[in-house]
Amino acid sequence: MKKLMHWLFLSCLKATELIEKKIYFKLSLRERMQLEVHKMMCDACSNYEKDSLLIDKALQKQSAVPPVIKGIDLKAFEQSLIKKLDDVDKV
Amino acid sequence: MKDKKTHINLAELVRLHTEEMVSWAYYKVSDSELAKDLVQDTFLAASEKAGNFRGDSSPKTWLYSILNFKIIDFYRAKVKKPVNMDGDSFSKFFTSDGEWIKDKRPHAWIEEEIHLLDDEGFNKILKLCLDALPDNWGLAIKLKFLLSKKGDEICEELGITPTNFWQIIHRAKMQLRECIDINWYKGN
Repeated sequence: MKKLMHWLFLSCLKATELIEKKIYFKLSLRERMQLEVHKMMCDACSNYEKDSLLIDKALQKQSAVPPVIKGIDLKAFEQSLIKKLDDVDKV
Repeated sequence: MKDKKTHINLAELVRLHTEEMVSWAYYKVSDSELAKDLVQDTFLAASEKAGNFRGDSSPKTWLYSILNFKIIDFYRAKVKKPVNMDGDSFSKFFTSDGEWIKDKRPHAWIEEEIHLLDDEGFNKILKLCLDALPDNWGLAIKLKFLLSKKGDEICEELGITPTNFWQIIHRAKMQLRECIDINWYKGN
């Protein structure tokens, strides 16, 4: 019975796989339907999807506006960089 | 005739953008020395290519496109190493039937999303959890957000199959979600 259910409506392992796949690729009609039905029956996987999308959003945001890193002294680095560029220019 | 090169004052650009560029690179590679190296490489490459700069984009955009290229190059070399796909990584979360292990079932995260994304503590944990992922897994995730490209483009870029790609993402996300769950939701 369980085997049949999984075959029809996916195991949670497979469902979460499709949730991730869906973010990046188009699912087939069969996959889409299986996933929708599975989520209707399974709170855990529905929650997983919400969390996963939230993580993506957070990563997106962090990536677009990374916090300025403090504690790296860049003055000396900038000076040496300008000198190097000068040297390259002279060659 | 005015030389194209004179349109770009690299020393000025160094002073203007170094701090931000190092932060940017640091966020992507999580290593301050490496971040500096990449920024240095970027400026050196820029000085070589200054003649090609057409002014279609701002100098800043131009520099960042070089920098991003350097970062991707760095990762591309890394991803050539075989991807670890050990079958065990799921047994932490799922039974052999592929069902959630009872106390691993995701519950709903309740925080208001908008508030959460601005929360410094949350973002710190997210970064820590990202860095804690096994190399190749974190890589797949970082590349996605670094390249902001579609899945099939990333696969092409990295020379991996789509199946391989989302299977890595799947494992990485599973781990990332749990790490945040433990450190943020249960820790608060």
